[in-house]
Amino acid sequence: MSLRLENISVAVPDGATERVLLDGVDLDVGPGEVVAVTGASGSGKSTLVAVAGLLRQPDGGRVTIGGTDATALKDRRRVRLRRDAVGIVYQSSNLLPALTAREQVAILAHISGRRDAAAKDRAIELLTRVGLEDRLDARPAQLSGGERQRVAIARALMNEPVVVLADEPTASLDPELGELVMQLLIDEARRLGAATVVVTHDPDQAGRADRHLHLHRGEVAART
Amino acid sequence: MYLALRELRFARGRFALVGTVIALVAMLTTMLSGLANGLVDDGISGLRRLPMTDLVLQQGSAETFSRSTLTDADLAPWEGRDDVDASPLGVSFVNARTDGGKTIDLALYGVPAGSFLAPRPDAEGALEGTPGLVLSQELEDEGIEVGDELTVVGVDERLPVLGFTYAGSYGHVDIAFTSLETWQHLLYGDNAKGRFSAIALRADDDTTLEAADGTEVVTKEEAYAGSPGYAGETQTMSMIRWFLLVISALIVGAFFIVWTMQRSRQIALLKALGASRSYVARDALGQLAVVLVLATAVGGGVAFALGGLIDGTAVPFRLALVPAVSALVLLVVVGLLGCLAGIRRVVAVDPAMALRAAD
Repeated sequence: MSLRLENISVAVPDGATERVLLDGVDLDVGPGEVVAVTGASGSGKSTLVAVAGLLRQPDGGRVTIGGTDATALKDRRRVRLRRDAVGIVYQSSNLLPALTAREQVAILAHISGRRDAAAKDRAIELLTRVGLEDRLDARPAQLSGGERQRVAIARALMNEPVVVLADEPTASLDPELGELVMQLLIDEARRLGAATVVVTHDPDQAGRADRHLHLHRGEVAART
Repeated sequence: MYLALRELRFARGRFALVGTVIALVAMLTTMLSGLANGLVDDGISGLRRLPMTDLVLQQGSAETFSRSTLTDADLAPWEGRDDVDASPLGVSFVNARTDGGKTIDLALYGVPAGSFLAPRPDAEGALEGTPGLVLSQELEDEGIEVGDELTVVGVDERLPVLGFTYAGSYGHVDIAFTSLETWQHLLYGDNAKGRFSAIALRADDDTTLEAADGTEVVTKEEAYAGSPGYAGETQTMSMIRWFLLVISALIVGAFFIVWTMQRSRQIALLKALGASRSYVARDALGQLAVVLVLATAVGGGVAFALGGLIDGTAVPFRLALVPAVSALVLLVVVGLLGCLAGIRRVVAVDPAMALRAAD
């Protein structure tokens, strides 16, 4: 499995008690497979992405990415695994205002210590693939919502990740554009052979995935 | 520095603003350095320019010429040494009046003819002939000419001006050389008995200079402290410079913290993309280092340019490259230390914040 979550539990303090965000969640996603995660607000969808994306350590359970037990790693190695093996597309595109589209993608290579021409070429190739070959030098403020999300998709794929996570990537787009962006994300992730988890509210978009996980109050309520 | 440099270009206005503040502090620091040097120069240049290495003073005089009186008996042991040049030196402050009625202060140096302290070769003749004065060059700029006569107030002695030399000043008063005999006559009248203020010594660094009973040996640099106002002036200037450094550190540190808070979501994203703590810390510090160095260089450059305009006026201003540049480097270092106080905020940003972020 490219991504394996085993018995994941997360809780946060809530006054004198604790609020459970995830409780015993299991999830396996294979290479090239797309799993949609749905659920009401507060059901734990974003927490699941944070845990799977190694942005947050679970209180219990194990996260395995590409065969590596990420929960057992020290901070520095976990950061490196996140950098090299995980691509995340955020709810809002979350681009850096000072960077052009080309730089938004190329920064991944810079963070990884690759500063060669091949990395720059790959950034351009990815942006071309998502249809932004004419917008390479545009900054976020000069891009439309759909264009920004496409830059975010290109950025998520830059390091050829084993796992692609998307946290409601079309929430800020109109339905028609959202559909296009979602399809682009799924197509590119599949082409790369990445295990993909897409959080969405939209049943139609969830229908495009290979499998479907429904969360309710931090627990898996249904699997299809 | 990938993001840092691009943010510098993108948020030019913001960085220009803080850069301007830093440049002004750098300018002020450099100007103060020039003023401090100028004041020090004004206070002790007349002593620094004397070709000596050490001074013998009366014990307990606290490097102050007016508190020191030595005699030929104190001079004798030094004159007998082959490894040391020794010359009596009389130093006192007098008030003189030109024929036009203008009064001027003079730091009067009494030097015997043939002394290595003689300001210039042709002045030696002046020191052994008719009593007269060789004045600091600055007084020529005030309209005094060779051949003019100055009346020493109090004793009503008239002394001709024999020449000018680049003697400098002592205690902010222009130097006037005269022969030791004339100096003794002006100060003690007919009761001089071979008295003078100090013995100037010229010796190699490794020569042992042991003071006889009732006297003390101080280096030329130690003797600066005896110049009127020297300690107060240097301490005041030094204190102002330290205050400026602290203010600079606070300005840069405060800007860094506010800037970090404003871009915490971007830092979170950077970390979520896989940037290590050291990567984001380097990026953030590097950004401020660029602003600090550029702004400090601009501020220092402007100060040097202004210094060029002030030079030659009545303002005692003298910029020495090494101390001024050292102060600017210190300003950059202190600014970076100010940033270090806020760096914990940068590395502590939670990458999970990127999931909640909106751009």
